[in-house]
Amino acid sequence: MMTSGIAFDIREFAIHDGPGIRTTVFLKGCPLSCQWCHNPEGQSPEPQVLHSPAGSRRVGSVFTAEELASILNRQAAILKDNEGGVTFSGGEPLSQASFVARVIDLLQGLHIVLDTSGYGSEQDFRLLLSRSDLVYFDLKLMDGQAHRRYTGGDNALILQNLHTLAASSVPWVIRVPLVPGVTDTDENLAEIARTAAAYLAAGNSAGTPGLLRVELLPYNRAAGAKYPAAGRTFQPAYDETRPLNIPTEIFERASVPVRVEPH
Amino acid sequence: MDERLQTLRERVRSGEHKRFRQAAGIDILAECEGEHLSWMKRAARLTRRQCEAERVVIEPDEQIAFTRTLPCIPSLYPAKQWAELFANHTMHEAGPINNICAGWGQVLAQGLLGRKRAARTSRQRLIEDPQAVEFLDSALEAIDAVLGLAARYAAQAREQGRGDLAAVFEHVPANPPRSFQEALQSLRLLSAVLWLSGHYHVGLGRFDQTMWGYLQQDLETGRLDKPAAEALLAEFFIALNKDSDLYPGVQQGDNGQTITLGGVRRDGSCAVNELTRMVLRVSRDLGMIDPKINLRISADTDLDLLCLAAELTQKGFGFPQYSNDDVVIPALVAHGYDLEDARDYVVAACWEFIIPGKGMEVVNTGAVSFPAAVDRGIREGLSQGAGFEGILRFVDEDIRRQVNRIAGAYERLLLPPAPYYSVLMDDCLELGRDLSQGAKYSNFGIHGAGPANAADALAAVQWFLFQEGSVRPEELLSALDTDYQGCDALRSKLAEEGPKVGNNDPRADAFLARLFDSLASACEGYGRTRRGGILRPGTGSAMYYIWLAQGHAGMREPVVGATAEGRKKGQPFAANLAPSQGVRVRGPVSVLQSFAGIDYRRICNGGPVTMELSDTVFRSPEAIRKVAMLVRTFARLGCQQLQLNSLNLETLLDARIHPERHKNLIVRVWGWSGYFCELAPEYQEQIIGRHMFAQTG
Repeated sequence: MMTSGIAFDIREFAIHDGPGIRTTVFLKGCPLSCQWCHNPEGQSPEPQVLHSPAGSRRVGSVFTAEELASILNRQAAILKDNEGGVTFSGGEPLSQASFVARVIDLLQGLHIVLDTSGYGSEQDFRLLLSRSDLVYFDLKLMDGQAHRRYTGGDNALILQNLHTLAASSVPWVIRVPLVPGVTDTDENLAEIARTAAAYLAAGNSAGTPGLLRVELLPYNRAAGAKYPAAGRTFQPAYDETRPLNIPTEIFERASVPVRVEPH
Repeated sequence: MDERLQTLRERVRSGEHKRFRQAAGIDILAECEGEHLSWMKRAARLTRRQCEAERVVIEPDEQIAFTRTLPCIPSLYPAKQWAELFANHTMHEAGPINNICAGWGQVLAQGLLGRKRAARTSRQRLIEDPQAVEFLDSALEAIDAVLGLAARYAAQAREQGRGDLAAVFEHVPANPPRSFQEALQSLRLLSAVLWLSGHYHVGLGRFDQTMWGYLQQDLETGRLDKPAAEALLAEFFIALNKDSDLYPGVQQGDNGQTITLGGVRRDGSCAVNELTRMVLRVSRDLGMIDPKINLRISADTDLDLLCLAAELTQKGFGFPQYSNDDVVIPALVAHGYDLEDARDYVVAACWEFIIPGKGMEVVNTGAVSFPAAVDRGIREGLSQGAGFEGILRFVDEDIRRQVNRIAGAYERLLLPPAPYYSVLMDDCLELGRDLSQGAKYSNFGIHGAGPANAADALAAVQWFLFQEGSVRPEELLSALDTDYQGCDALRSKLAEEGPKVGNNDPRADAFLARLFDSLASACEGYGRTRRGGILRPGTGSAMYYIWLAQGHAGMREPVVGATAEGRKKGQPFAANLAPSQGVRVRGPVSVLQSFAGIDYRRICNGGPVTMELSDTVFRSPEAIRKVAMLVRTFARLGCQQLQLNSLNLETLLDARIHPERHKNLIVRVWGWSGYFCELAPEYQEQIIGRHMFAQTG
């Protein structure tokens, strides 16, 4: 079993990452390379140094599961007292699934949110799903080819994990990053709405809490802000300035609860 | 807010009322000298002549009147004589009594005529005591002066066809108010005359306690409905913003016109009422810098009230500031305050806890520079090879020396007589003793400044020199002497790899707690002052976070160069209780946990944990509720005071380039809020630096 892992940040009072007062652990390393990724330092699984006018900063702390759990447990009472808990995000937590699972097992009964792209093996996904109280599951592009083009990965694995998720008893939320001209098209969102509606219906008949809602996350023009510091150039193959399409009615028509999340 | 109020607000913001101001102040020197008046008599004469010289201003649509027209406070003595008066004494700040809180509840309830009767009764009783008689005669002169001013306002109101307002001024402040409006008017006039008499940092007390009875009665009898009451309250708040540019302060906005809400009553029961909530709502909707609001809370304050307060925080004025009754009241009791008085505390101009009507406290006599003490401890300890315990002993010794020096200077404190302020206190008239001679509580406050930097420095030395052994003593000493010239690697190691306050890391937090224990012990060890009071240790830094790093004219505290936590010479220390600048922290929960480690029973002079949250945090009711829970966490962890700010980095950066577009941008600076564009560049920089840090990562 993997006993240590790497995180690029631990952020408290992460108000957009789940209910109550919670702390988010950003695992370092992601098998995808989404063009709009605003955390370039989350992609590589190795420690790295960021250089900015404010100075240089080493990013990526290696923790044993015990060390990370102990940091989180020191505030467990506060998180519980305030309807919160811990969110595992990234990077991609599935890439360090056994480490994350070990950390969760060491936590003092905290509410766990898994924030994932869904891009990982079914085994890893099940490992973390069984330890989660809520899952934020990213759906970016339903078209396989477009998905490969913009994220560098196949969505078959993702859709399979989505299926596993829907069949579980864990409540979940679909999160869609709205990228202008890429993910915000009517076709893509209609496909996501169809998928969501089908799972909603299945969940209703199975009596599981299932899908709670779809959250649309409007594109953030600051997406490229950290690239220079990471020694990289931000080169999206889409037009950042194009006005965003936010057709919530597509979801409403499909009777899928939808929410546009401010960033 | 309706149109009338918006217009009133805009008129005050644009300074239209300043057209009523007189070009020059009055001169009372000739008569004071000619009549060979005593200092006491001069003080009363000042109040009288200022009241007489005030021009009456009643604007057509005003419900709460009084606009100050006198631009300044005349001198009581020629400059040379004034200096001679203080030749062998310590003058506190500008001289006149400031930064205390009148017993507003009693004053309103008795009316000035009631206070006059109290003065007369004492005068009869103390007729053989010439000092008391002179004081009481002076107090009576001051009372008559205010009554005269009110009478002129009444007459003018009649003349302008404002019978309603005339009736108000015919009744208050002479008599107890019959309505909420009269109570507000009375408070406005009585406090304005304090400023006119040369006092400053005039606190307005437990507003929701002193005023609620009047409002409640109006609501019950149907004289007012809620919207009408809120409109009156808004107008009162607008009025408090009229003269603030005439108030003295280190920076514009540092005027100490504070109110304190919530908490418990003198009997310990919950004091929150409808007015508490109304003040939070009106202040939120009004968007003005005065009055500054303090909210007393405890571990079980209800979340709805905290949500309302968070909505006010969201506006970015830097208030309300929160004080934790669970911690403050026991601390005051431990420092000799009667339980009922402790329950009645208010927050002074910045953060110090004082008792309305009963405290003649000098809450800010100076600050102990923790970084200087630690610097000295490290240098002496290392050069003498005294070991880490030895370093700590030198630190304690230096803290004691600094406390003794500040307190020693204040043993020669001379406060000018204050007959008018005495009228407004609980028992000066009753005892026939001027406020300058002291009141029930006459303590001195001493703050400990730069605690996070100092604790980080000790932690770095313990860790790298004594634990790891990766840094040699000579190496550190020479780096400190040369301001880390050519020692970049060492500096970044100390700055970035050492244990830091703010991360809930016991290796650093233990020293934070220890520094304040040391300060508390030094204060206790000092014993009673000549004024019969004690030294109250506190956790606030006011301007010291810059002064102690860069120096300031007339300052008693030592300036320190480069420090062992990797800070270069001249860089500011953290303000109040906050992690050292540039230290990366995981967030507000760990910061609160770090500062919860201080033994606040031994600390009763106040000083907040200071945190900035990006304004993006406040964008939904759900998020507001989380902010409220964070505030509740502060209380549940047993921290003492919290200053929570909402800031938007882009706005700040733009404001520096285009001040004209951001005239209304209000930020919290240390214990107060000011207009960002009116602040000196170094303070703007400091706030921007703080915020950039909050947003990175």
